[in-house]
Amino acid sequence: MSAPAAGAGSRLSPATAGEEGRTSLRVSGAGSRVSLLERRYRAVLRLLPASYRAEREEEMVDAFMEMSGDVSDELNPRPAWGEIASVLALAVRLRFGGTGADPRLFAWGESVRLLALLGLAFHAMGGVYTGVELLRTLVFQVQPGLAGAPGSFERLLAVAVSLAYLCSTVAFLAIMRGHVRTAKITAVVGAAPALAYTLIPMILAGPVMDRPLSEPATLVFTAVPVIALLLGFHGDAAPRRRSWALALSPLAAGLAVLGCTWLLVALRLPDADWLYLWLDLGTAIPVWAAGAVAVLTRRSAPPQALAMSAAGLLLLLMRLTLLGNLPDGPAWLTVCAQCALLWSLSVALAWVGARGLPARRPAFQP
Amino acid sequence: MNMTEPMFLALTALVDEPRHGYGIVQEVDRLSAGRVQLKIGTLYGVLDRLSAAGLVALDREEAQQGRLRRYYRLTDEGAAALRDEAARMAATAETATARLRARTAGGAA
Repeated sequence: MSAPAAGAGSRLSPATAGEEGRTSLRVSGAGSRVSLLERRYRAVLRLLPASYRAEREEEMVDAFMEMSGDVSDELNPRPAWGEIASVLALAVRLRFGGTGADPRLFAWGESVRLLALLGLAFHAMGGVYTGVELLRTLVFQVQPGLAGAPGSFERLLAVAVSLAYLCSTVAFLAIMRGHVRTAKITAVVGAAPALAYTLIPMILAGPVMDRPLSEPATLVFTAVPVIALLLGFHGDAAPRRRSWALALSPLAAGLAVLGCTWLLVALRLPDADWLYLWLDLGTAIPVWAAGAVAVLTRRSAPPQALAMSAAGLLLLLMRLTLLGNLPDGPAWLTVCAQCALLWSLSVALAWVGARGLPARRPAFQP
Repeated sequence: MNMTEPMFLALTALVDEPRHGYGIVQEVDRLSAGRVQLKIGTLYGVLDRLSAAGLVALDREEAQQGRLRRYYRLTDEGAAALRDEAARMAATAETATARLRARTAGGAA
C-alpha cells in the first residue's frame, strides 16, 4: 500500500472559518480528537439516507481520510467540490431509489418519476398548441401581432420560443419511449423560455415580493417537473417504454384544447369569460381530478397518490395567483371552485400516499 | 447489466486480491494510468451496484484507527462478467486495429 496522497480529497483555504455547525464528535483511536476535515466530510455524508449512513459512513470516512492524509485543522481544510458532488450524486440515486432499492426509497423515487411524467405531459400539451398557433400565424397571418413582422427580430424570437416549447413535447415523447438522455436535454430546452420570462424580470426588478405572484408560481410550475425528471431518472432507474397511444395522448389533448378555444372564440358568447378558465390549465384540472378520484377509489400504489398530490398542488399554485386579479362574479367563483377541488383532492391523495408508504428500514442492521 | 468503465476497473482492481475502499481507488488510478480517479461517493455507488449484482462480496472487516475498514473480493460471477466484458472490448479493439491496418495498406497502395 502506497502512502496516501495528502490533500487529494480536500481543498485547503486560509483559516477564516468560524465554529463549525453541530457535528457529532467521534473518538477515533486512543482518545485522539476528530479532525476538522473529518467532521466536515461527515457533515457532507448527511446528504445520504440514514439507513445507508448506518451501513457505509465509517468506511466512507475511512477511505476519504486515508485519501486526504493528515491535514492540520489550521489549514481550514474542506472536502473538495468533486468529492461533495460525488456524495450528492450518490444521495440522489439512493433517495430517489431505482431498481433493487429499499422499498420506501423506491416508492419515493417512483413518486418523483411519475410527477415528472405528469408535469411533462402538461408542458407537452402546451408545446403542441403553441406550435400550432405560431404555424397558423406564419401561414395564414391569423394574428400578425403574435409573431411580429416578417424578417423582424420579434418574429425570430417568436419562432425560437415556439420551437423551444415544442421541445417539451419531444421530451415527453422521449421519456415515454425510454430515451432518458434525449428527454432530459429537450426538457431543459423546453423549460428555458418560461424560466427566462419569469427569472429575468424577477432578477432585474429587485425584491421578489414586489413582483406579481404569477411569476414565481410559473417558475415553480415549469421547473419542478424538469427537476423531477433530472433527479428521478438516474442510472439505477431503468426507464419503462410505454405505448405510443399513451405517449401521444397529450398531443391529442393539446389539439382538442386548441379546437375548443377556437370554437369558443368563434361563438362569441356573452359573459362567457369563466368558460375560458376551463381551457389550457383549466382543462388539466378536471382531467387531474378524474385521475385523482380513480387513484383514491382503486387504492392505487402510494407513488401514484403522492405524484398526483404534488401535481395537484402545482396546479393549485398556478390557480391561486388568479384569485387576486379577477372581479367578483362567475369567473372568480370558477377559480374558487377549481382551487377547492385541487386542495381537497391533493390533501386526500397526500394522506393516502403517505400512509401507504413502506416502513422505514431499521437504521442499523447487524 | 451495463458495465461502465469505473465498474470494469473496480472489478479489475479486485482480481489479484481483496481490497478496501481507498485501495480500490488507488488501484483504479494505477490501472488507468491516472485517467480515472474515483471519488469516494462514486466508488461506493459502483460497489453498491456490483454487490447487488453479486459480482463483488464482502471479504472481511477490520478496525483502522477506530474506523471500520471493509475489504471486498471478486466473486466467481464477477470474474466471469469481467472476462466477458474484457473479451468484448478486445474484439472491438481488434476490429478497430484491423480496419486501421487496412486503411494504412490502402494508403500505401
